[in-house]
Amino acid sequence: MASSRAVPFTFRGRRGSVEPGETLLEHLASRGLPTLQRSIRYHRPRAPFCGIGHCTNCLVRVNGEPNVRACRYLPQAGDSVTTTNAWPSPEHDLMGLLDVVFLRGLDTLHGFRRPAWATPVFQRIVRRLAGYGPIAAASAAAPPTATAPIDLDVLVIGAGPAGRQAGHRLADAGRSVGLLDRGVIAAPPDRVALFPRTTAVFLPPPHSGGDRPFEAVAFEEPDRGRLFRVRTVVLASGAYDASLLFTGNDRPGVMTADGALSMAPGERAPPFHRALIVGGGARAAEMLDRFGAHTEALVAPGPISPEVTRRASGLSVALYPRTLLLSASGRGRVRHVRLLSRGGGPEFSVAVDAIVLAHRRLPHAQLLFQAGAQMEWRGTAGSYFPVLGPGSQTTVPGLYAVGEVAGFSDGVAAEASALAAADAILGRNVPSPGVRAPDAPNELVGYYRDLLRFPAGLGKQVACACEDVLLEELREATARGYRGLEVVKRYTGLGTGLCQGRYCLPEALLILSILEARSPPEVGYIRQRPPVIPTPLSALAELPEPAPEST
Amino acid sequence: MSAGPGATSGIAIVGAGIIGLYTAYHLARAGAGPITVLDRGWLSNGASGRNGGGVRQQWETPATVRLARESVAAYRRFGREFGFNIWFRQGGYLFLAESEPELRHLSGVTSTIRSEGLDGKLLRPEEVPHYAPGLDPGGLVGGSYLHSDGTLYPFPALWALNEAVVREGVNLRMGTEVTGIRTEDARVTGLATSAGPLVASVVVNAAGGWAGDLSALAGLPTPNHATRHEILATEPLKPFLDPMVVRLRDGLYFSQTMRGEIVGGLTMAHPTGTRAGMPSSSAFLRAMSRALVGLLPSIRHLGVLRAWSGFYDDTPDGLPVIGEDPRLRGFFHANGFGGHGFMLAPAASRRVAQAILGERSDLDPGQFSVGRFLTPPADRPVEGLQLG
Repeated sequence: MASSRAVPFTFRGRRGSVEPGETLLEHLASRGLPTLQRSIRYHRPRAPFCGIGHCTNCLVRVNGEPNVRACRYLPQAGDSVTTTNAWPSPEHDLMGLLDVVFLRGLDTLHGFRRPAWATPVFQRIVRRLAGYGPIAAASAAAPPTATAPIDLDVLVIGAGPAGRQAGHRLADAGRSVGLLDRGVIAAPPDRVALFPRTTAVFLPPPHSGGDRPFEAVAFEEPDRGRLFRVRTVVLASGAYDASLLFTGNDRPGVMTADGALSMAPGERAPPFHRALIVGGGARAAEMLDRFGAHTEALVAPGPISPEVTRRASGLSVALYPRTLLLSASGRGRVRHVRLLSRGGGPEFSVAVDAIVLAHRRLPHAQLLFQAGAQMEWRGTAGSYFPVLGPGSQTTVPGLYAVGEVAGFSDGVAAEASALAAADAILGRNVPSPGVRAPDAPNELVGYYRDLLRFPAGLGKQVACACEDVLLEELREATARGYRGLEVVKRYTGLGTGLCQGRYCLPEALLILSILEARSPPEVGYIRQRPPVIPTPLSALAELPEPAPEST
Repeated sequence: MSAGPGATSGIAIVGAGIIGLYTAYHLARAGAGPITVLDRGWLSNGASGRNGGGVRQQWETPATVRLARESVAAYRRFGREFGFNIWFRQGGYLFLAESEPELRHLSGVTSTIRSEGLDGKLLRPEEVPHYAPGLDPGGLVGGSYLHSDGTLYPFPALWALNEAVVREGVNLRMGTEVTGIRTEDARVTGLATSAGPLVASVVVNAAGGWAGDLSALAGLPTPNHATRHEILATEPLKPFLDPMVVRLRDGLYFSQTMRGEIVGGLTMAHPTGTRAGMPSSSAFLRAMSRALVGLLPSIRHLGVLRAWSGFYDDTPDGLPVIGEDPRLRGFFHANGFGGHGFMLAPAASRRVAQAILGERSDLDPGQFSVGRFLTPPADRPVEGLQLG
């Protein structure tokens, strides 16, 4: 029942209300998994996937403004929310026929060239398909004013446990500290300036002259631009749950662990009844703790850890270690998955209504790349991490990386790295740096090698969900001699959509390393371009004039 | 083994961008060879993979108008010729003037292109929103428009030419850096490269933003000047904007791509010499966002997806450098396109090939030769429409 503080709004013309602080997605998901979008090329149905404001699956239109993410949006009284890019609705979209007509994909690189007279017609049709929403109605707007720069000693990016620890210790020692986080910041430490719902979107390399060599651009939702000028940056931006490649991997019901948590805050029930959890480690155990009663089975690309086995034994959850997730099928939402043990045996099917990806955490490392920190490939985690010196300092003087973004995934090590960074900044004796686990080849490379031996079946293997790029297109690029992630990105369009490659590029890197028969670091990576998340023009327009670039 | 005078021991094209690849294509089709294209980066790493995809015919100098016109025709048939769809969409180019001198400038351009047979129009301020809905006409004194200008998607053009030249037998060597130009008696004899020496009696400098460096390596100073230029792309919207819009005052330009993104840039006063890595800047993000929000207020809440940078290869008069260097036999220029290489490539590279093959060309050699910078300045035409 709505409380007296409830915020009324309409969704597709129907009245609803949220509690203050409740996101639009939390509200919608409490009534079941919502299908809010259609994919850009084939109009495949899409339901919330990432839950942390990166993917395209929950874009809605609010009061005429397109491209608003339901998972980030806090409805305001009187808002009118509608869906876009589908007719008559995202659940039943006529353009969904494209997915059937182009069963094996649509080749926009080589197709649509003949006959000459039809080219403008093709262009008009294809152009109509582009974009998620129409332009907002024109309205008068005040010209942008400039916000004042914020000058501090230390900027701590990310207010998880590691960021808070570092910020607290630095503030206790008398440093002026700013702590920013994309979400709400819990339990404010004393004397730390808090910037909730604020994301650092661009961290250029420090300029050589001056007192405060770092100038970080940040975006405070919904539309504020901020410029922080600081001496030192502590990056505690954390990590996120990776995607996985299989046939039908973009179906409604497939979501990351982050996504599942975003739709079931607190103790709320998730929008599924019998999920398949993917993963055999700590994150999968966490998902069992939270969603065990709503879980049917657990499948792991590799072995299953004792902590997962222990938890599953108390629940009626079937465990499938070292097993391929071949496909997810169902009309609209996921109804069945096809599995195959990597040790052999026949394929088998399990009825599920969601797939929760909890097999791998990837660092939010974009700012490290931007700032010019030297990165190294860590096969165990299947990602790039900063090269660290004593006190968790990166190769960029004054830039420290702590917690999960630096590869310290367990809580104790993450905290130690944060305190070490704070002590190093304060000029204290730094305890010996946290030791990361020894490196090993990534288990997913072997997993994907096994998976690639199987035909896609009657469905699409979506390598990049934002741009509807199929695995087949990666194979074609390799076959034609286009090698390396930068080139394949441009050849296929992979990684150029709204999430800027967060979900597709880490998988594509592993897959290309198989197709190109060389190691992931040889396949390379892409330049991390600013801004880190889509940032409104109006927010960037009001940034203060930055210092002239050093040459 | 060194080549004697007159022998064609090989053609080495430095730079696998649109100019270098197109030149290789024309030469290979004419039966010249053997041809090697070298590039120190990967395909599409330079400006050919970093531009906004604009193709226009509105220019001040008639010779450039003719090159552009021929290029538009080439891009119209590109898909059928090369097997790759570049999505060349003729949505027009709309230039905006905010002062009387700017409008006179556009008026001059419009008369020039009309005398070349193109259907350019001069627009009154109130006509502008008809071509670009949502655009704030405040501050405008007029504009110019040509419907047959357009935009294309640059990458497929590179893939297409890459595959075409390889099919024609061209030796394409990516990741190979030129470390020296070998000469004998003021004549090119070959290259020193990171992969060993290469014998060549013809070297083509199609190195884009690095063309000045390559000429200097050959001991041939030129006034080419690499200027960093930044571009941003927004989240995609359903199509609402057909033309490329260019504002004369600040060089602001933007169009809506086939994918729905608004892509554009503007002229910034940047320090040069920061070539490593081609960085982005928050100064650009700020300036570009202010300009876009001011001109197109309805997109102010639209998210910027990404920004990137590349290099314009600028010349003092805004015109490219095409043809053999009078100081070194066999050293040909195909550079100085000032950010417009893609739009002029099909036609300009054909003139480069003609010069190498010793064929008659319709270009006034004085206008495009590097020689124009080597003698005291005379009354030469200058291309004033260097933006967009």
